Amino acid sequence: MSASAQTDGPGNLAGRPLEEWNAAYSKVESYFHALRVRNKVLLGQLVALVLERAMQRSAGEPQRSATELAVEEMDRLVNAWFAQVLQAPPAGAEMLSTRGRLALLLADMPGQWQDQFLRPGPWPAEFAQKMRAMYLRAGPDFQLTNMTPRPLDLGPIATLTHLSHLPYLKMVTSWVLFVLLLVVLFYLTHH
Amino acid sequence: MTAAPPLADPVAGQDLRPGVASMPRVRPGWRVFIFYSSSLLLTGVISWLFADLLWRTGWSPSSTILLGLFMVLVLLIAVGCMHGVFGFVLRLTGDRRLTHLKDYRDQDIQGASTALVFPIYNEQVPRVCEGLRATYLSLQQTGQLDRFDFYILSDSSDPDKWVEEERRWFALIGDLDALGRIYYRRRVVNEEKKSGNIRDFLRSWGKRYRYFIVFDADSVMRGETLVDLVKLMEAHPHVGLIQTMPALINAASLFGRMQQFANRLYAPIFITGLNFWAQGFGNYWGHNAIIRTEPFMSYCDLPHLPGAKPFGGHILSHDFVEAALLLKGNWEVWMAYDLEGSYEEAPQSTIENAQRDRRWCQGNMQHGMVVWARGLRGGSRLHLALGILGYLASPLWLLFLLTFIWMLYYEAHTGLSRITVRALTPFLKVSATQHAFLIFAICMVMLFLPKVLALVDLARDRTRRRAFGGMIHATCGAVGETAFSTLHAPLQMLWHSQFVAASLLLFGVRWGPQQRTAGGLAWSTAVRRHWGHSAIGLIGGAAIWGLDHPAFWWFAPVLAGMVLSIPLSVLTSRAGLGEQARRLGLFVTPEETGPPPELAGLRARMAALEESGPAAPCPADSGLADAVVDPYVNAIHVSLLREIGQNPAYAKALADLGVGQPEVRVLCEKLLAEGPDGLQPAEKVLILSDAEVLAWLHRQAWLRPSGTLARWWQEQIRQYAP
Repeated sequence: MSASAQTDGPGNLAGRPLEEWNAAYSKVESYFHALRVRNKVLLGQLVALVLERAMQRSAGEPQRSATELAVEEMDRLVNAWFAQVLQAPPAGAEMLSTRGRLALLLADMPGQWQDQFLRPGPWPAEFAQKMRAMYLRAGPDFQLTNMTPRPLDLGPIATLTHLSHLPYLKMVTSWVLFVLLLVVLFYLTHH
Repeated sequence: MTAAPPLADPVAGQDLRPGVASMPRVRPGWRVFIFYSSSLLLTGVISWLFADLLWRTGWSPSSTILLGLFMVLVLLIAVGCMHGVFGFVLRLTGDRRLTHLKDYRDQDIQGASTALVFPIYNEQVPRVCEGLRATYLSLQQTGQLDRFDFYILSDSSDPDKWVEEERRWFALIGDLDALGRIYYRRRVVNEEKKSGNIRDFLRSWGKRYRYFIVFDADSVMRGETLVDLVKLMEAHPHVGLIQTMPALINAASLFGRMQQFANRLYAPIFITGLNFWAQGFGNYWGHNAIIRTEPFMSYCDLPHLPGAKPFGGHILSHDFVEAALLLKGNWEVWMAYDLEGSYEEAPQSTIENAQRDRRWCQGNMQHGMVVWARGLRGGSRLHLALGILGYLASPLWLLFLLTFIWMLYYEAHTGLSRITVRALTPFLKVSATQHAFLIFAICMVMLFLPKVLALVDLARDRTRRRAFGGMIHATCGAVGETAFSTLHAPLQMLWHSQFVAASLLLFGVRWGPQQRTAGGLAWSTAVRRHWGHSAIGLIGGAAIWGLDHPAFWWFAPVLAGMVLSIPLSVLTSRAGLGEQARRLGLFVTPEETGPPPELAGLRARMAALEESGPAAPCPADSGLADAVVDPYVNAIHVSLLREIGQNPAYAKALADLGVGQPEVRVLCEKLLAEGPDGLQPAEKVLILSDAEVLAWLHRQAWLRPSGTLARWWQEQIRQYAP
């Protein structure tokens, strides 16, 4: 940062107004903060590292804003670091980024390893091992099975044709007889 | 991933269950006979008296209808009363419970793998996670945690809920160090609702587990109870399902606390009575039950019923039918009413209660088709029939009242005077009015006797008595609950009649959103829901008064419930009144006086969440924002999507949804440029279902210049500033 700053006049940094770098700083800082880098010193160092790289590109790409350059550098830096730590084979940036962020979370970077984030290797063995070994399992291996509904014969007529097989037939018959008896008695005693 | 063939179809007639022949079996035949004969005998006697009353005041066709309706209604009351009486007597004499058939305490459960499944659908996510945590921690204390896996099975259609579920699930496994023990899966398409959700789990992972225990979103179970359930299943290989009796907990409103109190006080004798005749032919209530996986998978994939709605199509109330199918397959279904440590929550207002009834009513009406299915056991038919009649009783009661009013009207407008003749039962030596009062009194005794017996049962047990706050408080609570249920019953009658009619005539009952104040239901909501009930009460009351003054007083309790429905609903929904009642020692339950550790922990954590705010509803599209902008939530979401994509069924469902199509990128560009307001809910779900697109969106949201993004995104990113 200091090298670029030497060539600037008052109110400018790397050929751009300070406000522009301030906006870039905020965006990069927000992303690292979203990654739960809460230590202010570390956060400041990481943002400065990214902005330094952005400033080096600044003169060559005047048409692009400082923020664009900064977040692009941040993305490259983070992905390159993920590739190194995870020893990942070449893959799409999105795939690597997702895997890396998940590894950070599972290895508890925000809780235990903030000082290792974006630091060049070698890293503590435990941290590197956690980053590489842990992966999110939302479920065990699928063991696919088919379930096939059995047909249900719903026909009451079919049931009625098999009255003799009805469970509790005798019981139900005795109740019906009891009700009929009441009806008959009632009829006889009221006429 | 391993693929397995379909489960073998058990050979018809061949009993494949290990050790079944040597097991003690319980057959309910004579018990069913004694129980229902008692109910019928009681019904017969009272119907006789009622017929006699109708006879002495002049028989007419209306009398025949009235008598028919009376008989059905009294039979239902008698069945309820007999449940109470039998239950009380059994508890008095020392019932030999099903779960005591064999000592299972020392049963080894090594090698018995069990999944605890939590099917959820747009639920209050913090409560689901905290309930799971309470169960997990309790199970951990038994030392048997290794034999259990937990699954949150989401069917949520709300994108915000979906992302919140993932976020809180991840936090939970972090807190409990339960990665690889608590799993999360969201279905791509939530066809066939809860039963489809469970089946989807079984198709994906069912073969891994000998048993699975189904939870509701608000269920909590004690670890020891879960272990006992597995031991019971291991000790009784002929049992396919054991249903526990969940105790209602965590009620705050007056209504909720009365329901909770009634559940805890009356349920023991009712369930004991139910178990007297059901025995091994019990029922399944959809949750807080352990199920043997293999027979369930073999027998319980529900067929679609033929014909159109309301009876045809997908089976809505699947639980009763699943129990019936297990029984049909010669497996037993038990109700382990003596196992404590099984809990659920209940609606907090009369309106929420009616909303739940609306769903159940529709499902139970559909059982009108299933009850005739060939091959079902008699016990299953009884459970299904009682379920149907539980709702059908309301329109029958309404018809009974209308027939009676018609008779009053007929009498008033024909000018025919009522000439009473001698009753058949001259030895009673009562006037017609006294005769009517006698019948009324007997009906009231039948209705309230179980409650009295429950109090007597309580008085016999010192520990329980204390847990209910003492005998005086429990009695006062029972009186208060009875007074409330007397006023509430007519509302239930009107609601259930409406639901039954809606189910049969295929029209919907619109509910719309409820407005709730901090303390309970808003007056405006109550007026909107109850103005019809109040109007029916007022108009009906005026009409009856005009027809027959003395008859009015017979109808007064019913009319009062209707007329007072609005204040009744509002006041009983108030948490403040619930708290006041608690301070007075009213409606106190054992879980309030001596909360078990699992519930005490749950309450403490929910209270802490309430204080810190995360339990509050998230703002609209917060899930989408988190899934795109937050680096970790995005990574979790994308990772889970990639994982479910390994299941061919899910991969196909995702492809059917449109995942991977170029149109999704177009939607994403619109989302970035215009924000979420420019998208339909289904489009948001589509974007959230596409792993590659989500990973791309995350980078775009952070990499693109702010000026090219909708203001909404800029605000979301700004929230991450330190």
